[in-house]
Amino acid sequence: MRIGVFVCHCGSNIAATVDCPAVAEQAKNLQDVVFTTDTMYTCSEPGQNEIIEAIKEHNLDGVVVASCSPRMHEATFRRALERAGLNRYMLEMANIREHVSWIGKDKERNTVKAFELVSIAAAKLRNNNPLFANKFDVTKRVLVIGGGVAGIQAALDCADAGYQVVMVEREQSIGGKMAKIDKTFPTVDCSSCILGPKMVDVAQHENITLYAMSEVEKIEGYVGNFDVQVRKKATYVNWDDCTGCGACMEKCPSKKNLDAFNEGISKCTAINIPFPQAIPKKAAINPEGCMMLKKGKCGVCAKVCPTKCIDFEQKDEILTEKVGAVIAATGYDMFDHSVYKQYGAGQYPDVITSLQYERLMNASGPTGGHIKRPSDGKEPKKVVFVQCVGSRDPAVGRPYCSGFCCMYTAKQAILTKDHIPDSDSYVFYMDIRSPGKGYDEFTRRAQEQYGVQYLRGRVSMIYPKGDHYVVRGADTLAGTQVEVEADLVVLAVGAESAKNAPALAEKMRISYDSYGFFMEAHPKLKPVETNTAGVYLAGSCVGPRDIPTSVGQGSAAAAKVMTLFSKDKLESDPQVSSVNASRCVGCLKCAKTCPFGAIKEVTDRGGNVKAEVIETVCQGCGICTVTCPQGAIQLQHFTDNQILAEVNALCQAQLDF
Amino acid sequence: MQALAELKDQIRKALPELDVVIGWQQGYDALHTRPLFIRSEEDIDKLVVNEFCVVNPSSYLREMRGGKKVGLVLKGCDSRSVIQLIQEELLNKDDLTIFGFGCNGVLNHAKLQARFGDIGYIESAESDGNTVNLVVAGNKETAPFAELCAEKCLTCSYPNTLQCSHFAGEESDKKAEAAQDKALEEFEQLSMEERFAFWQDQMRRCIRCYACRNACPMCVCKDHCLANSRQPKWLSEDVDVQNNFMFQMIHVMHLTGRCVECGECERACPMDIPIMLLRRKMAGIVRDVFAYNAGTNAEDTSPLMRFEVEEPTIEERH
Repeated sequence: MRIGVFVCHCGSNIAATVDCPAVAEQAKNLQDVVFTTDTMYTCSEPGQNEIIEAIKEHNLDGVVVASCSPRMHEATFRRALERAGLNRYMLEMANIREHVSWIGKDKERNTVKAFELVSIAAAKLRNNNPLFANKFDVTKRVLVIGGGVAGIQAALDCADAGYQVVMVEREQSIGGKMAKIDKTFPTVDCSSCILGPKMVDVAQHENITLYAMSEVEKIEGYVGNFDVQVRKKATYVNWDDCTGCGACMEKCPSKKNLDAFNEGISKCTAINIPFPQAIPKKAAINPEGCMMLKKGKCGVCAKVCPTKCIDFEQKDEILTEKVGAVIAATGYDMFDHSVYKQYGAGQYPDVITSLQYERLMNASGPTGGHIKRPSDGKEPKKVVFVQCVGSRDPAVGRPYCSGFCCMYTAKQAILTKDHIPDSDSYVFYMDIRSPGKGYDEFTRRAQEQYGVQYLRGRVSMIYPKGDHYVVRGADTLAGTQVEVEADLVVLAVGAESAKNAPALAEKMRISYDSYGFFMEAHPKLKPVETNTAGVYLAGSCVGPRDIPTSVGQGSAAAAKVMTLFSKDKLESDPQVSSVNASRCVGCLKCAKTCPFGAIKEVTDRGGNVKAEVIETVCQGCGICTVTCPQGAIQLQHFTDNQILAEVNALCQAQLDF
Repeated sequence: MQALAELKDQIRKALPELDVVIGWQQGYDALHTRPLFIRSEEDIDKLVVNEFCVVNPSSYLREMRGGKKVGLVLKGCDSRSVIQLIQEELLNKDDLTIFGFGCNGVLNHAKLQARFGDIGYIESAESDGNTVNLVVAGNKETAPFAELCAEKCLTCSYPNTLQCSHFAGEESDKKAEAAQDKALEEFEQLSMEERFAFWQDQMRRCIRCYACRNACPMCVCKDHCLANSRQPKWLSEDVDVQNNFMFQMIHVMHLTGRCVECGECERACPMDIPIMLLRRKMAGIVRDVFAYNAGTNAEDTSPLMRFEVEEPTIEERH
């Protein structure tokens, strides 16, 4: 074999703490290495051309590039090899930037380690074989999980591009959090007026199939060919016939059920349509409240229903869908404020969350848009807003900033003044975070034009006094403790990951952080992609996002799906497991440990049981290869021999610089 | 011995349905037994069950895949290896008839030799699980069982054959002498360097005869053992410390969650290398991490033979 080694300076990124020319010089002594050099930027066009020329001039059949992480530039150099006529898998990268120069300052030891990594890469390369990709078909349908504004935007963009979209929504209606909000910052335009038309578009678009009251049960398969199981939860109403007339709601005698859409500040009937603009506008029975389902007596709704669509026998249904890509737009949930016992959250009726306050202000909310205290229905004259409840507080395990609370609190304070002109509003804040177009002007307007009193400090406790409350906190700008009397206290609760987000992430085989938010493939350069091919992210499932960002990400994820679907065939990754049938003893331990069901049992001509890998299903995780006691199943490009060669090279490399 | 008579009776009744029954017969002297393959009525009377029935008859099973109806006379420890092989679907439960009995432990030739000199002088030895009565060169001798038995019997929790089709005689009520593995505990008191030096010495003595592998009932790869493989090439043919150590570690790793601690490997070792220390350590780790005892229930799945996103016995982040 004839190997060329290219050591990259990466400007001064590597060269500052690694002696690149010395590494290149020493690499000449490695077995089969016939050419070495060091370049300023190997990834640049002249750098790549140097590789191509060296391959031709020195008749190289393998290349080691010692530079950055293969996650950065492996694809770049593989293309360069292909341009020079080599197989792309005859490249090995030694990561001497992230693994060496960026983490150590000792130039001498860095240089030794860089050389060791180069010798490992060269040893592996000597065991490399050319690999070739297979092509497979793409199912040009996309699954959108979550029908909030991000999911709606993604679904509409994909549908408009001509692709079939399957949207799965956990709740009874799409719309997500934005449907609950009264007005949006900083323009103070009606939330449902701008979201409503988009929701209707989803319902009416011929390319969109909507499953509300449904959850993703299972996702199998791989990019281009996912098999999705959707659990359609029992609604006890036949939605094909329901017209959403609401006659059942009027007559239902069980009227004291938790109204989840109104955040629990009002009660609703057991059979219910959550809000007038709901999409789909269909009734569903809450089995916990329904007398017929609980005790077998009642059935009033079935009697009054003009289309006879009530079905008390309905069961959950499992549907299967074939899709080629998945967009997760599962959004967020509000932080459970009741852990703040000192605020009386969940105990005092007039200490409410910001989202509950939105429902109080909303014209289609339970109070018809009149702000009334939950306890006695009186109009509050003094409203205190407490920011950072469940944000920026390591004590409750939420050290991150939720990002949008500063803005919605300013909006709510402005709207309070609009609703009740003789009211006073106070805001306890830590910092005002308003980096967005027109955002800072908006918070200034709240203070200057609407006279909202901003107090910089945290609230230590809230206690009742007569029929109002006292909010005690610090005013760190004045250096004093303050007590503010309030008729109503609104806690600006932060965002946390959606309920069961980790379980869904595991179904999609994507990573999630310790808070349950999904991980992007790269926080800057791949913000809507994941490390699982064909799975994309949009909106607040990645972390708290405001509406414009969520919509933008919805469109971005849709664009990624369209890019994927622009190809008729995809190339499968040849870095998958393969079975050496002559070594396989047919114990099928590999099949038992495979997380993806990628190994099937076959019988050879002699009637012996053997394992066989389904190439398109295999993800190349390598669990089977460590399970196989015979070493009969090998992960291509990461075979036992290649890894052993790397270990041997590492143990043998002893050089002084 | 009542159990033996019952066993013979049970085997006699079952034999017409079976191709072969594997048990033990008297060897060339009082202290040795050898495997017995019962194929006809006449063979049944050769069967013995005593303190020297050391060999695990299930080691012969891997040669017998392919639908043969096999009967097995098994001690408690032996039955665990059969159960483990059934779990791994390497044996078909329906093809097996297991004859069980209560075992009082087996004796260790090396210990006998250490105490009485050449074991050729020992004319007989009988044990009730507590004391051993011997006749050595015509003289009667008595010794505590714990001093002469196999190491595994000291910590044995399964003296009775598990999940057997027939059980002869009374159940053994023998308890483990020590809950903890004394030898292993003492070894772990040593420093890392001392332990490494110990294994280097031991591995230097290993001649890589593969007797340990061939005696192991769980080594089912037959001619495909990784140790002999050139592709992939894990080991060189050199018999040096590194390669020997590598081989022994591969053997232990391949037995993780499968080893039933029958001790056949160490007994078969001609160099008396205490390789059971490694296996007992690994079995202990499996017990700690997965709360799993290999080969005790045919319905179980060994923890490393399945894929779970979250192991129920391991506390992960939540």
